[in-house]
Amino acid sequence: MFGLNFQRLRQQAREAFERRVRIITAGLSIAELRALLRGDPPTEKPNPRYRVHVTSFLFHIRPKFYLRGSTIFTHTFRLGFFTMFFFVLELITGLILMIYYTPSPAEAYNSILNLMSNVPYGKLLRDLHRLGAEGMVIFTALHMLRTYLTGSYKKERSFTWLTGVVLLLITLFLSFSGYLLPWDQLAYWAVTIGTSMAEAAPLFGKELNLLLRGAPDIGAGGLLRFYLLHVILLPLLAIWFISIHYYKVSREHGISLPAKFEEDESLPKEAVKRAKQRVDYLPDLFTHELFLTSLGLFILVVLTAFFYSAPLEHIANPQQTPLDTKAPWYFWWLQGMLKLGDKTLMGIILPTLIFGLLFAVPYLDRNPYRMAYRRPVAIALGVLATLTIVVLSYMGLPQYKIETPAATRIIQDLAPEEGLGELRAIPFEQLQPGVYEVNATEPENLCPEMDFGCPALEAVFAEFSERVNEAVEAGKLPEAQAVLVIEAWQADLVKVTPRILWLDPESGTRKSYERHIFLHRDHNRNE
Amino acid sequence: MRIQIQIFLGTLFLVATGAILIFVGLREDERMAEFERYQKAQQIEVGAELFEINCRGCHGLRGEGIPGLAPPLNDRHFFTERLAEVGWQGSLEDYIIATVSTGRQVSTRPDKYPGAGKPAMPTWSDRFGGPLRDDQIRSIAAFIMNWEATALGEVALETLPTPETEAADPITRGRAAFETYGCVGCHTIEGISSGAVGPNLTHIASHAGERKAGMTAEAYIRESILDPAAYLVEGYDDLMPKTFADTIPADELEDLIAFLLAQE
Repeated sequence: MFGLNFQRLRQQAREAFERRVRIITAGLSIAELRALLRGDPPTEKPNPRYRVHVTSFLFHIRPKFYLRGSTIFTHTFRLGFFTMFFFVLELITGLILMIYYTPSPAEAYNSILNLMSNVPYGKLLRDLHRLGAEGMVIFTALHMLRTYLTGSYKKERSFTWLTGVVLLLITLFLSFSGYLLPWDQLAYWAVTIGTSMAEAAPLFGKELNLLLRGAPDIGAGGLLRFYLLHVILLPLLAIWFISIHYYKVSREHGISLPAKFEEDESLPKEAVKRAKQRVDYLPDLFTHELFLTSLGLFILVVLTAFFYSAPLEHIANPQQTPLDTKAPWYFWWLQGMLKLGDKTLMGIILPTLIFGLLFAVPYLDRNPYRMAYRRPVAIALGVLATLTIVVLSYMGLPQYKIETPAATRIIQDLAPEEGLGELRAIPFEQLQPGVYEVNATEPENLCPEMDFGCPALEAVFAEFSERVNEAVEAGKLPEAQAVLVIEAWQADLVKVTPRILWLDPESGTRKSYERHIFLHRDHNRNE
Repeated sequence: MRIQIQIFLGTLFLVATGAILIFVGLREDERMAEFERYQKAQQIEVGAELFEINCRGCHGLRGEGIPGLAPPLNDRHFFTERLAEVGWQGSLEDYIIATVSTGRQVSTRPDKYPGAGKPAMPTWSDRFGGPLRDDQIRSIAAFIMNWEATALGEVALETLPTPETEAADPITRGRAAFETYGCVGCHTIEGISSGAVGPNLTHIASHAGERKAGMTAEAYIRESILDPAAYLVEGYDDLMPKTFADTIPADELEDLIAFLLAQE
């Protein structure tokens, strides 16, 4: 009578546990969870996996199923999924980075230095955030290209396309607004160029520019504005539009089937039927998403841990415009267009027209067919537009159509103002003080007193000589005289002076160009 | 079967990701220390550039100072006795930052280094109306502090066998002298220097002959260097050091005059 009935107790405990598990999993039993992970059929009837889509919020906004044909890898390449993956990654890493960041010109750059030198995993976080931003732009663009080429924007999907173009714009602005935050030369000048475009807008250009920068030049006001855009307004807009975009896909029209299943009459009936079979979200799509997520994380962590470093140049200096200023790569096409004509036309009116056209694609394209060979004009235009973007991007590079004086170019290429360059990559020990004159100093065995010589210095001197001699032959530097002077300046500090003298044919006088480059032993030489 | 493979691979990726994160984490202390060293090195490099642009005119190309103008910053005295001399409580680096930031109204050693007029040393921080940001001043201080090893004789620097500035024509050599003897600190020659204490010399060759009746341009320039008080351009005080007759060797004086005569 007082003996404990262990069997019954165990039974009760199991049931209590099972009840809790079902509450957390929105209705799935332990056995069902196990079956789900193993890919076994459902353990109960009716299928408890469908009930989850009703009882759980997060699953409620996911689709119950996709058609088998639309999940074929080569149809979507999972581009949309990875765009979202990057967005979530940016949210998480961004939130952590915000802890260490102060949006003021006096502190912003120091925040980054502190993050790099004083916060464990600080560099990794920054690299992840930066690489994720690049990834998000790339995958958004590719996702759009894929949707265009497979004709998936038609009919009931036209509004989804429209929200997608909005998301492309938001992604570009998100990335661009984040560009300014480190407050280094790269950021400052890229954003100065970018916002100066706003100035060219007709009617209210000046006001728009002021509104963005907070002052005629980017300063404390501009930085705070970009920061708030980057961490509040644009993410909120992105979440809003992603919700619309994704809800349409998951609850209204699903992912499009490859066109052949809808239009190719010659396809066997079974193949079409199979393509239209349902693939349930639980477990198949869910498992696949988990797999893609861990794959994406793995690749990103490998890249950031071993191969990628987010750039960080010198602190922003409004008084000093760097020689080769360029916009972020996803705006090179715009920079290229600006070289072709008027700032208002090329910088504001045409881009507005281009995006207007993108918005209007589903409404302009009245062709009901989706298969490539049935819409040759649309495909041709798409390919042409992509090629145009690539060519324009190339034209946007500083190397295109911007003539830098020969002497400046040679020295800038050897030792760029920002970044490493060949000269700064020379190991400190090899920077033997001396005067090395092009075509006068014997270029081989420059450092006979060193045990292993100075091959890196020799290579740079050879490169310098070659470039100068090329310019002389091309007539750009008549009667050139060029030296590379290396002086010991302080303990662990040398001064390197590349100097080029030439005869200026216009004025008939001798001109010279030189840079003074200081190199410290501890400078990072393997960026 | 397909699903199990994905679960298996996914788990594998997660474990691998975790392993990489641990591996990265183990190296973090080392990486952070390395970044700090690198940052310090970069600060010194930036400071060296800024020193050359802003400070060289009065304190000399290598901080050796210019007698009659501004004191050396690279000698033993500066690193061992200067703080006691002025009664500074904090560190030498703070002393440098404070001095550069606010400048100096009156020289502390007016007999030896009277400075470049009033104030003896201009204000550099943009907080007090100067041209430099605080991070730039910190960089300059880091660069000056880096002279300690050579100042105390712990490290000897290798000097070039022939001075690299040795050029064939007197005008180029004169330009070097114009920098070496601190003229750049006070006089503007467009494209070379930007000092406002003394008269602008961009076109000195054109009007040097008209300053004093009966005196050629060359004679006027020579007199102005050796005996600055002999003639004062309107609007300028008698601030130029009187020591150049002793400090500039004869040959370099000729070069300097040739250089100035070329400024038409």
